[in-house]
Amino acid sequence: MPSFNPQVYPHIKQSDLPAAVGAGIIWFCSMKENGFKTTLIVAFLALCGFYLYPSVRTFLENRKIAAMADEARVQYEDENYVSLRAMREKSLKLGLDLLGGMHVTLEVRLDALIRELATDVDDTFNEVLAEARAESVSGNSSMIEIFGANFTARDPEARLSRYFRDDEANITRRSSNAEVLAYLQSEADEAVQRAIEIIRQRVDRFGVSEPAIQLQGTRRIVVELPGVDDPERVRSLLRGTARLEFRMMTDPEDVLRSLQQLIEAYEEAPAIAAADTSAGDSTAVATADTAEASPTIDNLLDETDDALAPNNRLLAIMQPFGQGVIYGTVSEADTAKFNALSKEILFQDQLPVNTRLMFSSGAVGIDPDGFEQFYVLGVREEVELDGSVITDARVEFDEVNRAEVTMTMNAEGARTWSRLTGANVGRNVSVVMDNVVYSFPTVIERIPSGRTSISGLESREEAQDVVTILKSGALPAPVDIVEERTVGPSLGAASIRAGLNSVLVGLLIVALFMIFYYRTAGIVADLALILNIVFILGILAAFGATLTLPGIAGIVLTIGMAVDANVLVFERVREELSTGKSMKAAIDGGYSKALSSILDANITTFFVGMILYSFGVGPIQGFAVTLMAGILSSLFSAIIISRVVFDWMVGERRMSVNFG
Amino acid sequence: MRIFENANYQFMRNRKIAYAISGALFVLSLASLLFRGLEVGIDFLGGMEFVVESDQPVSTAEVRSTLATALGSEPEVKTFDETGLLIRTASTGDINEVEAQVLRGVNEAAPGGTHRIVKTDIVGPRFAEDLKRGAFYSVIGSLIVIFLYIWVRFQWKVGYSVGAVAALVHDVVITLGMFSLMHHLNIVPFSLQIDQTIIAAFLTIVGYSINDTVVVFDRIREYTTMFKTENYENVVNRSINTTLSRTIITSGTTLLVVITLFIFGSEVLRGFAFALLFGIGIGTYSSIFVAAPIVVELRNRIGAR
Repeated sequence: MPSFNPQVYPHIKQSDLPAAVGAGIIWFCSMKENGFKTTLIVAFLALCGFYLYPSVRTFLENRKIAAMADEARVQYEDENYVSLRAMREKSLKLGLDLLGGMHVTLEVRLDALIRELATDVDDTFNEVLAEARAESVSGNSSMIEIFGANFTARDPEARLSRYFRDDEANITRRSSNAEVLAYLQSEADEAVQRAIEIIRQRVDRFGVSEPAIQLQGTRRIVVELPGVDDPERVRSLLRGTARLEFRMMTDPEDVLRSLQQLIEAYEEAPAIAAADTSAGDSTAVATADTAEASPTIDNLLDETDDALAPNNRLLAIMQPFGQGVIYGTVSEADTAKFNALSKEILFQDQLPVNTRLMFSSGAVGIDPDGFEQFYVLGVREEVELDGSVITDARVEFDEVNRAEVTMTMNAEGARTWSRLTGANVGRNVSVVMDNVVYSFPTVIERIPSGRTSISGLESREEAQDVVTILKSGALPAPVDIVEERTVGPSLGAASIRAGLNSVLVGLLIVALFMIFYYRTAGIVADLALILNIVFILGILAAFGATLTLPGIAGIVLTIGMAVDANVLVFERVREELSTGKSMKAAIDGGYSKALSSILDANITTFFVGMILYSFGVGPIQGFAVTLMAGILSSLFSAIIISRVVFDWMVGERRMSVNFG
Repeated sequence: MRIFENANYQFMRNRKIAYAISGALFVLSLASLLFRGLEVGIDFLGGMEFVVESDQPVSTAEVRSTLATALGSEPEVKTFDETGLLIRTASTGDINEVEAQVLRGVNEAAPGGTHRIVKTDIVGPRFAEDLKRGAFYSVIGSLIVIFLYIWVRFQWKVGYSVGAVAALVHDVVITLGMFSLMHHLNIVPFSLQIDQTIIAAFLTIVGYSINDTVVVFDRIREYTTMFKTENYENVVNRSINTTLSRTIITSGTTLLVVITLFIFGSEVLRGFAFALLFGIGIGTYSSIFVAAPIVVELRNRIGAR
């Protein structure tokens, strides 16, 4: 049999040992029945040992490493990188609820993708799409199929081809609905695959050890990041579409004129808002830790000073500014309200044509309540250039050591950029990312090189993340975080302690009870119980399952229920003994009569475990797995192990077993 | 030591008493579920839940009021373990924003302390809907599978299946009812919210209860062939009595470990352990007092089918 020598270990192929064990089993099969059973037990124990060995070593190594000084630790980890990594990969994995870390489920917004693909959109289309989104709640359902079914249900004669056109995919006006749906499905599948690729790149650059990224159902992506303790940054990184745009800003005179019109309009407008504030779009809010210099409030226009009436709904949330391209400042607490207000027709009517309001990314001041304030800026609707022209991006630092992202454009981008800057000297251009204005410099002269930068970033980390997102490319469709579970490392460690304590105390209590109640037979049952726990852990390690907190609860529960099979046998043996049978006959009878109960009871519970596994996610699956592993191993330990021990005691040692 | 050796209790003769108790509990539970409802967690409703750990005591009422204005609706605030606060909100705002607001709110309620978010659970409304369906199907699915398995294993006799599944429904409804009642009476110091973990607990209860029931049924099946001439009611009664010590010992050891889990397990598992504690008790009861009597009733009415 291959040795478990740690130096040899990494080179052993996993298949060697089972092969050796298999040969051993065949050899022993020719022997008497109990010999076979004993071999089976030894083989399973050896297998468990084999699969648990890396876990035990990882545990010991981790303790050793934790006790080292920082420098020694780094050196040790460097020197043993390969073997440590191999060992960790093969060891029993702890769930994020025990380890600490972040579990995120992302959903790719296929409805947005469909809308993007459509060349022509009408009300019917939008309604059917909204219906399809509402109905495709299950992660396994196909949104495309539901979309198609709803579309034909509405009007069997209607043709999807009027909305889509793609020469490459050969989708024309003549394409049948089935062809269009097949085209949409393949685009959707591709988009989801691409999203996974992009997210993998982003996560890799973020630098997490052993991240896991996988597809769930048709359009959900599960991202597991052990040890991550900065959820805010991860969320931005995962969701970041990095839709980078270069736009012109609204002319300052237009800004000033429309600001005055807006203030006047709301001076006369009824005070009761008809606006639906819940529809407020809050994605345009940036948060910040450090504030830059306060804006010069003294510069406020004279005519607005006396206009700060409490019943003016605009002035209640925005401090007017009116200089250059800046409309005013809005506090972080009011951004949602402002977004809702700016959607009102009254508001929209006052804005110059082609103008859209956006917030600045960095905070420009702090209001008396301690909330950060952001600029409201006038930005032109037209996108002059977008992120697709960016060929490279990196973090650099300006004169005052603030991080900024400098970007290089391709030839075509550089040409457009050169023409644009050349034609707009003295005006402001804006660098917009995900509808937030990062910088809006005044063009001093034509920029021929195609180099440009994003400033106004909070920190080095944010700049690094922007670079990561820009380099990984834009997501093919927006993603939503539909589920997130983050556990801090300290809470995880506390859960491990709590779990271990419950396992040990539970084990002790049950073991003592069994000895107290069944005497010698109880000791045999306890032996089976302890081996049972080794088997459960072995099964978990062998299948690469993850141990979670509910999983530990499953082990504790199994300790209580595992003795059941033994209890069933022992009670039967007592019944048999009371009819005056010999010890050997009583044990034989007890086992054979209890068998059908044991099997029926465990098979039904096993079914429940399977259902639980297929429905549950994450920690619950961990619970289901330990429950099922517990059933299998308790069956094995009760029917095989304790039986062999009894046979040995009664048959070979001629002992009389005390069943209490 | 032996308990219930040669037990001979008249379970069947007194089954009407059990019907009355079970009926009363069942009706009470249904009424509480219908009129009071359950405390449903974010897993099935959607929303955000944060656990904030502080180095100084923080008043839950204070946090509730400071956050009510910031979040736009009043969040639920409870203590979590000794030093923590559990804050649950139905807010659908941007996650980063809500998280910042929560920390700011706690800071405002207890200035000068160090507060950290140590656990975050966020479930979108659509995802919650998906989880809710999954939970529903899994409970229904396990009942159907159990019905079929018992039907096949017990010689295609529908009575056993009906008895087993009725006992399971009885267990699940009464345990749920207990959650509803206790939540509204507000008498336990831990969370009784229904989340994924609790559904896992319910399925475990289902698994445990069926385990118990099958052992009794197995004995009934054995004794039915062994004592062909005897009255069926007596056969069932004898089966229950002979398996009684096993029933009590297995529930005993299982309850012992569940109590261990309840005491030593972390706060996260407290509701789970409580569901198991109650459910295993009721599951043991129902194997004897609900499942077996129903088999007898059906046999009396529709014969040995």
